Amino acid sequence: MSGFLHVTGADFASVAPEIVLCAAATLVLLLDAFARPLRAFLPYVALLSLALANLAGRDRTGTFFSGAVESTAFTRYIELVALGAVALAILGGAAALERDKRDQGEFYALLLFAAAGLILMVRGGDLLVVFIGLELMSLSLYVLAAWYRDVPAATEAGMKYFLMGALASAFLLYGIATIYGRLGTTSFGKLQAVASVPGVVAFDTMLEAGILAVVAGLSFKIALVPFHAWAPDVYQGMTTPAVAFLSTAPKAGAVLVLVRVLHALFPSGLSDPWRPFLGLLAVLSILFGNVVALSQRDLKRMLAYSGIAQMGYVAIAVATFTTDALEGACVFLAGYLVTNAAAFLSVAALSSGENAPKELSEIAGLGRRRPLAASVLTLSMISLTGLPPTVGFIGKLLIFRAAVDGGLVWLAVVGVFGSLVSVGYYLRVVYHLWMKEPVRDVSLVPDDVLSGAAFLLTAALMLLWGVFPRALLEVGRGAASALAGR
Amino acid sequence: MPFHPLGADLLTTLVFLPTLGALLLALVPGESKAAARAVGVATSLLTFGVSVVMLVRYDPTASGIEGFAIDRPWLPRFGIRYQLGVDGLALALVLLTTLLTVSVLLVACGQKIDKLKGYVASFLVLETGMVGSLVALDMILFYVFWEVMLIPMYFIIGIWGGKRRIYATMKFFLFTMAGSLLMFIAILYTAGVHSRTTGLLSFSVVDWARASASGAWSLAPGVEALLFGAFALAFLVKVPLWPLHTWLPDAHVEAPTGGSVILAGVLLKLGTYGLLRFAWPLFPNAAARYGPFLAVLALVGVVYGAWVAAAQKDMKKLVAYSSVSHLALVVLGIVAGTGAALSGAIFQMIGHGLTTGLLFLLVGVLYERRHTREMADYGGVASRVPVTTALFLIATLGSVGLPGLNGFVGEFLILGGVFQVRIVWAAVAATGMILGAIYLLTLVQKVFWGPETVPANRTLTDINGWELAGAFPIVVLIVLLGVFPRPLLNLVDGSVRSLQRPVAAAAATVPATASAAPAAEAGR
Repeated sequence: MSGFLHVTGADFASVAPEIVLCAAATLVLLLDAFARPLRAFLPYVALLSLALANLAGRDRTGTFFSGAVESTAFTRYIELVALGAVALAILGGAAALERDKRDQGEFYALLLFAAAGLILMVRGGDLLVVFIGLELMSLSLYVLAAWYRDVPAATEAGMKYFLMGALASAFLLYGIATIYGRLGTTSFGKLQAVASVPGVVAFDTMLEAGILAVVAGLSFKIALVPFHAWAPDVYQGMTTPAVAFLSTAPKAGAVLVLVRVLHALFPSGLSDPWRPFLGLLAVLSILFGNVVALSQRDLKRMLAYSGIAQMGYVAIAVATFTTDALEGACVFLAGYLVTNAAAFLSVAALSSGENAPKELSEIAGLGRRRPLAASVLTLSMISLTGLPPTVGFIGKLLIFRAAVDGGLVWLAVVGVFGSLVSVGYYLRVVYHLWMKEPVRDVSLVPDDVLSGAAFLLTAALMLLWGVFPRALLEVGRGAASALAGR
Repeated sequence: MPFHPLGADLLTTLVFLPTLGALLLALVPGESKAAARAVGVATSLLTFGVSVVMLVRYDPTASGIEGFAIDRPWLPRFGIRYQLGVDGLALALVLLTTLLTVSVLLVACGQKIDKLKGYVASFLVLETGMVGSLVALDMILFYVFWEVMLIPMYFIIGIWGGKRRIYATMKFFLFTMAGSLLMFIAILYTAGVHSRTTGLLSFSVVDWARASASGAWSLAPGVEALLFGAFALAFLVKVPLWPLHTWLPDAHVEAPTGGSVILAGVLLKLGTYGLLRFAWPLFPNAAARYGPFLAVLALVGVVYGAWVAAAQKDMKKLVAYSSVSHLALVVLGIVAGTGAALSGAIFQMIGHGLTTGLLFLLVGVLYERRHTREMADYGGVASRVPVTTALFLIATLGSVGLPGLNGFVGEFLILGGVFQVRIVWAAVAATGMILGAIYLLTLVQKVFWGPETVPANRTLTDINGWELAGAFPIVVLIVLLGVFPRPLLNLVDGSVRSLQRPVAAAAATVPATASAAPAAEAGR
């Protein structure tokens, strides 16, 4: 522990992205309190801080704070994911919030804090740092869930998310404590050294209970069946641009942390109860998520169940646990980030307001009236289905390929079966947009420059990564091999 | 074959030119009909021109599938390549595709179509998918193009279709996707097998076929059967072979004219193309083992399709079921696998694309004017629409297999080839042909001949200029191919020869396997 006392400048420089984000968040809070007329510029301040944080995080590798914080290609990946997700949420949300007079600076500040927590969580080289990061992220998200605090559904979302999240955190902490109790350390590096001794991890029931608790806690954040129950209610009640963040980057972060924990404890590959167990989580999530999504009439609830199924595909990669599979997971998650954010932002643009229900029938025939938003929603549905030439196909291609190569053909078969079922509800959205007449005159959120930029950006990425995926694959490869090379 | 520096670019141009046109249309603001017409016709004509240039430059004596080959890395670490190439078979189907697309877009100019811009753009994207599927040699690339076809077709049926269009388009989508998803897993698995046994990470069908032919990958019979099954299922759904055909009548009836033409003319052929290009060459042992089983399904399809077609009152449904029957005959030819049967099957693929495409086009011409497809709503309209009647008769006679028109050549070759393998198969298939003559001629008789019974038909106008421009080239080809089948047969001869070898050997063992199988089971 004495190592923590020797903090150098390089240590502080290593957490520059988090520092930039927290400082910018504080600045936004202060500006909002003391310079009210500047409120219209807060989104730009937040976007600028994201760009700065991105610059601050470039080209740095190593371990800092005596191994408590790490910088690798793996952590660089989550920085990009977190910053990208916040950027999309801000771009897509600014106009809607301003219209609803909900554009208080706290919204942007909380998003920035959440991003800082998320990055810290994945960069943590020690389970306790991971936990601190996770809590910083989660607390920000609990508040964001109840952002429209006079809307009952929103307060319900906030409350539910908070209570369930607290339970999950308790599980995670209990698991960390148990692992510490059995192995005497919470540092990933030391855990891996201990676990490399054959037989230590495999035959310890208490330790397995601890690992199970950690897996459960993280599966809650990822929303894997049976730890998914919070997702539909929270998605429905939470303000849509914030869901664009909540449903993407935090899930990616939790997956990466799960991968790191498993990698530290099982350096030579997943041993037996865990591989089938994760496979089971994947199967349950894919089947349950896809089948239940079929019966949803609310777009946001439908996307919540679709998200559960999508994370099931990622769980296939985690169960496979080869470098190829983890690369697939990284690529899939990046694609999912762009696709899902695009879906939520276009749903927000095609509704008459945050308080309005997001019924499927509400978007009937809007393809002609709002071609850009409707096209982006269509494209994101195609990408979520996993059809080429979109990035959703590339992600599934890599994951299923890795699963087949890793001897888990049955998981891949379940995966494609789930994709087939998902056609039913993804295409229903397309059908409503383009093949139905409008039910009545819907007053829509007006177009604005920022959300237009978000639409063009996400649409371009969905297609570009689908046709020329090599750059994305290099990033995913770098992240996956950085993890394996540890 | 000499290397063409321009040839490499030709294939890429051919595949992506239509998409370029669609993108151009997306940039046109508003609903400009003139722009949609101009871009649609110009792009499809240019694409057709490119395919004709390829035909002129193609060397029919080459036997490989690397004509105009282009091979660049796409996802190099996974051995996935941007590999394109054609042989005679692919080139013939490419020409059919580009020609029918021109026809469809010309006809669209002459008819009242709502949201024409989206309609044209959908067909152009669809053309990229179809041509891409035909020229892709990398399995993942092929799968990408194969799936790319789904979305535009979904829109074409779902937006511009008839009353039950949503049901029909969803059924089409789900059937096709269900088939192809298992093939996707099989592709991934086969690539794994290939890299383990040969040490080469490749998704190229050229490499795979080589490994399969040389025995470098020796698949366990059970595994090969599963892989063959997954591939065959994907393609047989598309063909569609009885009993997987149920989506087809719905899709055809509900699709707009252009959708039906492309569906019958090209998409179904991609199913038989997939069998010829992938399922048979890659898994010859399983194909030989289960071929007879498919032949039985095909025979059921030949008779069933004809029988059901004879009972239809709706013109489109009738033609749709006739497709089920005719394509089952093509599958039978593929299973038989002799040189004559394969030549006939390929010839019939082109021939059926032309005749059935034309039939759907002309039914669409009538529907555009009267908004009904019931045969009972017409009758004796020959005097009102003489040109349409003449064209319809040619298409029908071509489809029936009248000597001098293209259908005869294909059917005769298939039946002759099948006869060499199994006389019974040929006999059953021939009855299907006889039924075909009955229901198709009845169709002509009920719609065009006889006394004029329905007063509403008095105002029926004949085919207009745009529509005629779309139909005329097809008619010319129907006659030309019937009188001079040699050029097309020469074109696909190399493909037939390369396909024939393993299959002919397999066909020779058909009776042996059939009789040996029970014995082997008894031995166990």
